[in-house]
Amino acid sequence: MKVLPPTLRDPKRYLALELICEIRVSREDFLNEIFSNSAALIGDFGSSQAGIRLLDFNDNMGILRCKRGSGDLTRAILATITRVGGYPAIVNVLGIAGTVRSATEKYIEKRDSYNVPDDKHI
Amino acid sequence: MSRFDYYDLNVHVLPDGSGSVNQMLSIANHLGYSGIGITNHIDREPPSDGSHEGIELIHGVEIEVRNSSRLHGFVGKFRKKVDVLVVHGGSESINRSAVENPNVDVLTNLPTGRDNGFNHVLAKSAHDNEVAIAFNLDVIIKQRGGRRVHALGHFRKNLQLARKYNVPTILTSNAMSCYDMRAPREMIALAGLFGMEEDEANAALSTIPEGIIKRNRRNTSTPQGVRIIQYNSQEFC
Repeated sequence: MKVLPPTLRDPKRYLALELICEIRVSREDFLNEIFSNSAALIGDFGSSQAGIRLLDFNDNMGILRCKRGSGDLTRAILATITRVGGYPAIVNVLGIAGTVRSATEKYIEKRDSYNVPDDKHI
Repeated sequence: MSRFDYYDLNVHVLPDGSGSVNQMLSIANHLGYSGIGITNHIDREPPSDGSHEGIELIHGVEIEVRNSSRLHGFVGKFRKKVDVLVVHGGSESINRSAVENPNVDVLTNLPTGRDNGFNHVLAKSAHDNEVAIAFNLDVIIKQRGGRRVHALGHFRKNLQLARKYNVPTILTSNAMSCYDMRAPREMIALAGLFGMEEDEANAALSTIPEGIIKRNRRNTSTPQGVRIIQYNSQEFC
């Protein structure tokens, strides 16, 4: 099989994201949520244009790929996620980059995971 | 980081919502807000104040009435106490009394059912009295299917009226729990779904709410009708 030449490949954007949730979420649960929300908001037609794919996800941090130009739409889809695996959750986009490497270096590596403070200790 | 100071002027805490003041401040700070307005419904005011490093707490109240005749009384009662006065929209008569009262800052929760309760006449008074129209993005976040379709349709219509009559618009989360908040960039992306341009949405989340807060803080320090022209303390020595 021939590899598609770089000039013919779709330009991509990579979103570094964190999931704010009480529990550590599995990749499958998160994927299910992304695709059901994407189908609900923009439908099959829009989803095919946005080209969303979850590349890497562990410890509630991940990299999501979408086509260039649909970054804002992808953000809107991620914002409509309210629950993951039965627990309330927020998807927070840390930043957008042109390559996986720069997204990881710029936004993921330096960050610690965030949890909502427990009110009992205050 | 970002060039703007972002504010969300419609957040509910215990006992109205389900999160404490400190939880809300912490999560809003993490998401990149500079301040949040705690606007609990009347009679459900938060029992204690909270504080968090790096984020401002703005005191507010949300007035919900069933009958428009009671609205002005409540507005008068709370105006001096709070920095942000929000009215929960409803029927057209309630919305009309809200936009005709210059003491009201924000009209929120416009109905997204069949009847919207907002039109060109109200838009004009909203402009004259500087009452901002809030787009509650929680409807777009939480609802699915038909309800969301109606909500987006109404938002698009209201935005058209707001542009035509130059009504201030703000974006709010109307958060009831800390998991209802979204980061400013996500709010802007959601606003794009009903046709808001990026610079409009940025202003609706930063400069317009900031203007409302400043206006009210200034109003409380000098009474209406009095303007400080120049103050020179040495002359009196």
